[in-house]
Amino acid sequence: MLNGIFRQNTLLEKSLDASWVRNEVISENLANVDTPGYKRKVVEFESLLKDALENRLDMKTSHSRHIRNDAASVINSTGSRIKRENKDFNLRLDGNNVDIDNEMSTLAKNTIKYNTLVQSLNLSMRRIKMSVNEGRK
Amino acid sequence: MGYFSALDASASGLSAQRFRMDIISQNIANANTTRTQNGMPYRRKVVVFEERNSGSFSDYLNAAASKNYMSKAPGGVRVAKILEDNAPFKRVYDPGNPDADADGYVSLPNVDIVTEMVNMISASRAYEANVTSINATKAIAMKALEIGR
Repeated sequence: MLNGIFRQNTLLEKSLDASWVRNEVISENLANVDTPGYKRKVVEFESLLKDALENRLDMKTSHSRHIRNDAASVINSTGSRIKRENKDFNLRLDGNNVDIDNEMSTLAKNTIKYNTLVQSLNLSMRRIKMSVNEGRK
Repeated sequence: MGYFSALDASASGLSAQRFRMDIISQNIANANTTRTQNGMPYRRKVVVFEERNSGSFSDYLNAAASKNYMSKAPGGVRVAKILEDNAPFKRVYDPGNPDADADGYVSLPNVDIVTEMVNMISASRAYEANVTSINATKAIAMKALEIGR
């Protein structure tokens, strides 16, 4: 029972980590907006998590020390990945494919997402705290 | 990547753009300079940027071996070199000028004020983008301190 308490928090933590890395990557893209030949970086996380959760094998265990492949362990082993994007949508002659408007909107989205995740993590912790205190504040 | 590597990347972007602005100012200041150390009119200077910490073998090896991208060295941008623009000088007929040649023509620097102005706007917008990114990083770092409060 106690193991299950923090399961949702693990998911939120992973998502926070990915959001943090995404912020770093956007900063690098913006710093290199005038670097010839620079290709923008993107962070993959949501798609990896979805893949891992959908394609996981459900394994039956008959002993507590057997390897398990439940959702919690899959979430735990999923991390974000930084990828170079070689696609070119704009017509720049210097081979750079950073679109500053795109980066700015992704940055705004990412900040809001981070705030949402922190809030949701805090709410989840408050619920745990409330149940630990038997409903007294 | 450490806790502040996003800030480091943005800061490198800020200083690179500021450096570019310096060079643009120098070009504009010398738009009419007909004498330099080598006796020629001033040549327009161009800044070339490159990605910091990119492409070295050990970077790729470390990233692949650890699978831990958080440990990567901070990225960002740095000034690779300052090149001189090899476009021909402007030739203006001005026989009274002490720097005029035998035909009465003066060679003026290959600086185009309009181009420099456009580059200046571009540099200042890029600078602002980096400032926004720093503010966003600060905002989420401060928000992270609220976890568990």
